[in-house]
Order: sequence, then C-alpha cells, then structure tokens
Amino acid sequence: MAAPVCLEYRIEGNNFMTAGTASNNIKNTLKMLGIQSEVCRRAAVIAYEAEINLVIHANGGILKAVISEDRLEITAKDEGPGIPDIEQAMTEGYTTASNQAREMGFGAGMGLPNIKRNSDLFEIESTPGEGTMLKSTVFFNK
Amino acid sequence: MKIKEICEKLNAEVQVAGDPEREVTQAVAGDLLSFIMGTAAEGSAWVTIQAHLNVAAVAVLKDMPLIILASGRKAPRDLEERCTAENICVACVAESIFRTCSRLSELGIEG
Repeated sequence: MAAPVCLEYRIEGNNFMTAGTASNNIKNTLKMLGIQSEVCRRAAVIAYEAEINLVIHANGGILKAVISEDRLEITAKDEGPGIPDIEQAMTEGYTTASNQAREMGFGAGMGLPNIKRNSDLFEIESTPGEGTMLKSTVFFNK
Repeated sequence: MKIKEICEKLNAEVQVAGDPEREVTQAVAGDLLSFIMGTAAEGSAWVTIQAHLNVAAVAVLKDMPLIILASGRKAPRDLEERCTAENICVACVAESIFRTCSRLSELGIEG
C-alpha cells in the first residue's frame, strides 16, 4: 500500500480574505491523485466549511487532510472558545458568527450541517474554553 | 448557453472574461456562502450581491465559471485578480437578483 498523503495547514483566525486557500489546495491534490470527482466535490465542501469555522469562530487552528488508499480524513483542531451545545450548533440556521462575518455571507448556520451531510463518518468533540476537534471521513469506494 | 451569450443577453458589463465559450445550463442565486456551498450544482452560474474575495473561493471550490454581480455591484480589485487567475467570468448587471434570475430563466437556464 502506498504511504498516505498528509496535508497540514495553519489557518489564520479572522482573515476572511484568504479563507478557502487550504481547501482549494486539498481539492486540487485529490484531483491530481485521480480520486473520483464525487469525492473531490464532497471533500471541497467539508474542507471549506471546516476552514471557515477556524477563521470565523476559533481564532485559527490546524486543518489537516490525510489521503490513504481507501479514504480521506479531514481534521480541524483549534484552541478556540469551544462549543457549549453541539446539538444546537448542528441545527441548520443556528449561528454565533459576528455581524461583520454575516454581512459578508458567512455564518449561514450551515457549516457543520454541510460537513456532516458530506461525510461518511463525522465526529466532533468540544470543551468550552479549551477548543474543538472535528473529524470527517470520506470513503472512496462508496 | 455560452457564457458570452448569457452576458450579452443580460446586458452585463463583463469585468473578467473568464472562459466565454464555456456552456452553462444551470444557475443558483444567494448571498450566504455556505448555502451556495451546500446547494449549488457544479458548473452553475452564481447570481449574488456579495462582491468580495471569498466569493471566488466558493466559485473555485464549486467549479462555477460565471459570477453575476447584481444590483450594480462591482468586483473589487482582489476579487477581479483572483477570478482572472482562476478563469472565472465576472459579469455585473444593474438589475436585481430577482430580475436577473427571471431573465436567466427566460434564456432557458435551469435553477
């Protein structure tokens, strides 16, 4: 089996303008590796939403993508404020984004639901005051 | 319909030419980036009043070759440059999103 491809990005907090660069890089890498386009499409949504969450909510963090033979794993880890009520955060339309972010069209309250919808496996753990760890897996042969 | 024909029919001011010969059959409208991320079909035209750099990030990730900025919005220089680099057409129209979508529908573009 070929060694997994690991991509890791440090995402800057509150920099709305460069947000999306890491996700685009992940999508392009998947395409270059010849991964099927349906997976690339889903991965783009997952990576973008996770990246935006790091920018607008967490004051930055680490976005990581590991591409192995049968799956893609995307993790987003931050030391931000954490999510007190994950169920509420998973509700479509619920957002805690700032007015500035919302005026730019961020904070639709669809980020986490979009990630979950496009994942085969989805995990999120958060401790208020300590940070959040999100892990999304997409299998290639589904 | 080809991108250049859509731009002509909409009387749009083309700010970035992109790929004028590319065919577009579908469009999506909205200003919430995650909504577009979650619902737009790849290859769609996108009608919005959001005119900032991150619009290009969404268009690139969803492979959208045409951004139509409605209600007289114009792309700032950074958005223009990014769309030029990514070969995405940016077309500006004076009309509202509603009116623009109505025109696109008349042209046979599906929503």
